[in-house]
Amino acid sequence: MEPEYSPTVVDHFEHPRNGGRFEAGEGVIKGVAGSLEQGTMFVLSARVAADRIESVRFEAYGCPHCIAAGSWLTEQLVGLTQPELRAWHWRAADQALQFPMQKRGRLLILEDAVRALSEAWARLIP
Amino acid sequence: MNSMSSPAKSAPVIYLDYAATTPVDPRVAEVMIECLRPEGPHGNPSSMGHEPGRRARALVEKARQQVAASIGARPECIVWTSGATESDNLAILGVARFHADRGRHVITARTEHKAVLDAFKQLEKEGFEVTWLKPGVDGIVRPEQVRDALRSDTQLVSLMHVNNETGVIQDVAGVGAICRERGVAFHVDAAQSAGKLPLNVEAMNVDLLSLTAHKSYGPKGVGALYVRRRPPLGLKPLFHGGGQELGLRSGTLPTHQIVGMGEAFEIGERDRESDVARIAVLRERLWQGLTAIGGVELNGHPSERVAGVLNVCFHDVEGESLRFALRELAVSSGSACSSGSDEASYVLRALGRSDQLAQSSIRFSLGRFTTADDVDRAIAIVSREVARLRALTPTADSNGT
Repeated sequence: MEPEYSPTVVDHFEHPRNGGRFEAGEGVIKGVAGSLEQGTMFVLSARVAADRIESVRFEAYGCPHCIAAGSWLTEQLVGLTQPELRAWHWRAADQALQFPMQKRGRLLILEDAVRALSEAWARLIP
Repeated sequence: MNSMSSPAKSAPVIYLDYAATTPVDPRVAEVMIECLRPEGPHGNPSSMGHEPGRRARALVEKARQQVAASIGARPECIVWTSGATESDNLAILGVARFHADRGRHVITARTEHKAVLDAFKQLEKEGFEVTWLKPGVDGIVRPEQVRDALRSDTQLVSLMHVNNETGVIQDVAGVGAICRERGVAFHVDAAQSAGKLPLNVEAMNVDLLSLTAHKSYGPKGVGALYVRRRPPLGLKPLFHGGGQELGLRSGTLPTHQIVGMGEAFEIGERDRESDVARIAVLRERLWQGLTAIGGVELNGHPSERVAGVLNVCFHDVEGESLRFALRELAVSSGSACSSGSDEASYVLRALGRSDQLAQSSIRFSLGRFTTADDVDRAIAIVSREVARLRALTPTADSNGT
């Protein structure tokens, strides 16, 4: 009954991209969702410039799928505009990482973090 | 499965799961192989009318003496079974059902192995009342708790000697004295203590004792139940058939398995002190290495524990990620018999650990073939992976802007 992980999950879990966070400052936005107590938490921070996301970093607490999803997402969000970020849907991560059915709820937490990031951006640019 | 990666990495796995099962000692394998050769003792040990049968019987009886000697029992008190699960079921269901007309109250602890817990749950279905004792945060059930729970209609108390998840040792002699004084049958699951602690059923006032071979460098699939014979205990068998083992366990005796168990127990008792001393040093080395990581806590009593088991929880690391990150190590979270689910260990929950910490707990168990190099490599892997995962863990100020 070992959990199964797709090659993409294993790759991102073993070699997470863009781990950490940007310190608060000009052009930096942050989105947080979930909590350590509930077993899944994502913290996304991004630098935005010229109406696009320049770079993204992540912190994550959760199962290997969640760590991998945070890492994978940091590469996917680069270059997105504000409307594109707002339209981001958890199914994109599900397709790329093949989340097991019983873990899909955790992707909604990731989507909440993206939404929070988008809202932070909206506050940054009136 | 095609698109999924196997969780195992290609590097050789460091085996630190001796509490789940041990490799068979080569000396044990040797005597077992001799039994399986064409010229070996292939007769049915119950066929006393011919030489092949008598030859097999002689080996079975030698093994019975070896196992009996290791627990201070008389050989006729040993009943061969398929392992500790069967021994537990035979002891618990057997005694309770036999004496059901005298009383229907039985006592055990919440931290017992599933084989005991589920046998007691079966008794509940059959109309028995079970008192489930809760251990302290150190994992220990005090003998006074048992004394307080005893009633005039109590038929049986069952308590494990050593907990399979934490390695914590229960005061079975203390409980045994109370049960004997009150005339209540006392069963001990000793699957985890054989070869690790001195066992003497007379001194410990034990009436029934479950043993298994595969946790003591013997083969899987064979075990034994010690049953007190004087005065007779009264036990209803689970199996019906040929009436082997004085009617308590029907079924043809597996000579090679039994011979393996006998040899394993003789070696285990002979080498116990040197094995334990060596393993205790290795466990301390592992503990020092793990505590140096920081944010690590021991689960269970700090000193009342067997040498080989170290169950620790890691703060700020999620359990499934920790287990996957440590797949170069063969270790357990929870008991091997029930792990495989996300569910937190019921043993650690009973000790007061949160779901989160229980899930982030790992049982390292060392044994006869563990080396200092195994331990040092394990420390290096755990240190590296815990640091890596913690670097990604959101910190307390994550919710701030």
